[in-house]
Amino acid sequence: MENTSQVPVTVLTGFLGAGKTTLLNRILTEQHGRKYAVIVNEFGEQGIDNDLVVDADEEVFEMNNGCICCTVRGDLIRILSGLMKRADKLDAIIVETTGLADPAPVAQTFFVDQDVADRTKLDAIVTVADAVHLSSQLTEHHEAEEQIAFADVILLNKVDLVDESGLDRVKERIKKINPFAKIINTTRCSAPLDEVVGLNAFSLDRILEVEPDFLESDHDHEHDDDVTSLSFVSDTPLDMDKFQDWFGNLLRTKGQDILRSKGILNFKGEEERYVFQGVHMLMDASPMGPWPKGKDRSSRVVFIGRDLDNMNLKEGFDNCKSA
Amino acid sequence: MNADLEKLQESNKTELERRGSIINTGAPVTEAITIRDHIAVGFGDGTVRFFQSGSEPKVVKAHKGVVFSMARNGDYVLTGGEDGRFLKISSEGDIDEIANFGSRWVDYVASYKDFKVCSSGNTVHIWSKSKEKINSLEHQSTVGGLTFDNKGKRLAVSRYGGVTVWKQNNNKWTSSNYSWKGSHGKVTFSPDGRYLVSSMQENQIHGWRINDKADLAMSGYPAKIKSFTWVGDTPYLVTSGSSDAVCWPFDGKEGPMGRKPVCVANGGKELATFVKVLDGENAVFTGFSDGSVLLSEIDESKKPIRIRNSTGSEVTAIAVSSNREQVLIGDLQGNILISSLWADN
Repeated sequence: MENTSQVPVTVLTGFLGAGKTTLLNRILTEQHGRKYAVIVNEFGEQGIDNDLVVDADEEVFEMNNGCICCTVRGDLIRILSGLMKRADKLDAIIVETTGLADPAPVAQTFFVDQDVADRTKLDAIVTVADAVHLSSQLTEHHEAEEQIAFADVILLNKVDLVDESGLDRVKERIKKINPFAKIINTTRCSAPLDEVVGLNAFSLDRILEVEPDFLESDHDHEHDDDVTSLSFVSDTPLDMDKFQDWFGNLLRTKGQDILRSKGILNFKGEEERYVFQGVHMLMDASPMGPWPKGKDRSSRVVFIGRDLDNMNLKEGFDNCKSA
Repeated sequence: MNADLEKLQESNKTELERRGSIINTGAPVTEAITIRDHIAVGFGDGTVRFFQSGSEPKVVKAHKGVVFSMARNGDYVLTGGEDGRFLKISSEGDIDEIANFGSRWVDYVASYKDFKVCSSGNTVHIWSKSKEKINSLEHQSTVGGLTFDNKGKRLAVSRYGGVTVWKQNNNKWTSSNYSWKGSHGKVTFSPDGRYLVSSMQENQIHGWRINDKADLAMSGYPAKIKSFTWVGDTPYLVTSGSSDAVCWPFDGKEGPMGRKPVCVANGGKELATFVKVLDGENAVFTGFSDGSVLLSEIDESKKPIRIRNSTGSEVTAIAVSSNREQVLIGDLQGNILISSLWADN
């Protein structure tokens, strides 16, 4: 449900020591003229100005809805519902996750709980990464990989501490996992806050704006990273029934390994563009207005996940083309 | 406004809207409870207002941030808030701070006679007559709801994975677990104490028969069940979360097991968000997502009475004064209707 009164929620992830706390401190202390609530884990300092700091424990709940990878953050449901009872309106809510957290339950909370979905919206997943240590963290901890894979924006922090070739290497590593995230180079997390908060990255219509990325359809993937991405393009219109069968079955059977999926679809006989995005098995889809005149009507899908090579994705996608 | 239009609007008003007064407070109504002939209402701006027939409401600035939960404690109201404070407030507006948990919210409060109880995070804190806290009960996850039974012998605490029932005897508290997969919120004992029921994160309520822990699954709702209330001698557990007030019969040996609920107060495409018994009658007020309220008997053949028209904002609280003279309805946008329930004789 799109609703202008929904408060945007930014999820802030990042491996230990990457600089999340520095960014949080900036959000809490800068004169940004907006009213934020910041949901933190064991954070000692109080916000100054009008900002609100809410203590939380990360409580991951399994949903009893038959979806095996469907976990949500129970504490977030409670806290967001509580904040929505406030008399004054918040401009944004920022949720900090601990360094070792999997971002999926946070994102899934916004798909699963109706009250949360009605009154708030997931704005973006922002990951703070340490330019010096990211490579070794990616090798050693799958949580670090997931945080990169889920990100809409990556603040590549401490870039002053690596040389140019080192920076190129770490960016290449990031792009291999997630070629669609926007990377911002920072030192001491000094990115402008409006590049971090209020991005609308999870809004379905934003998927249309990331078109250029979708076109880079052939990322060569070497197999040193566990999480990879794949994307496909088709100029032949797709058959809606075939696509729904294939995609529904894919998410049902492989959803645990597909971390994020996005796409713009051109269905045969339909005047409107269809847009979707998913987190594991959960998906949000909607028609998004007619195709722009004079532009190619091509379908594009992207997957970020594990073991994508064994899902016959290309074959499955190609089979959806209308005869 | 043109006179005809004014007249038309007047004629569209419900009987209770004509008779009563409508106030917009600007802050979401979070809860309303009855304390003798007062109705105490908690708001999202931290105020508690005491309404009494024939006088202006008394406004008490109680909390900084949201008033999350309220309970009656004798002639006082207990409140828990976003500011981490657990308060005891008189209808004159005197505030006594029982505890302050700082940045940890006080999510739920409950009371029975001298017992004053609140939850903050995973812990339930208990006070009795003295100002000293007498006990703290820990749970494995954050508390989602809190209630005493009608005799004050048992305290039910809902959480992830089920409900913990604490029995007390001379302040010795022993627990037993009622388990069911999933996250549990609002919790209640049946009036006879034989059943325990909780609302879940999934669109269902779950019940247990206390003596043998037999499970009762009540599902099929299109939305989360935010409110329930016990009605009549049967009794029925009337629930929100559907386009009707869904009433489960808890009579007989098996309660609602294998039986269909009675559905009253159809709201069309609107969902019921709040239900409240009219004490002493086999009747319930049902508030909907558009602000409208129906009063109905628990009888599918009877037509409900429209008490309040749509305000465009979901009903979040309904309370009736103990003498049953006044009814108060509040919604998420802070609109209040307070009216006498009966026509003047």
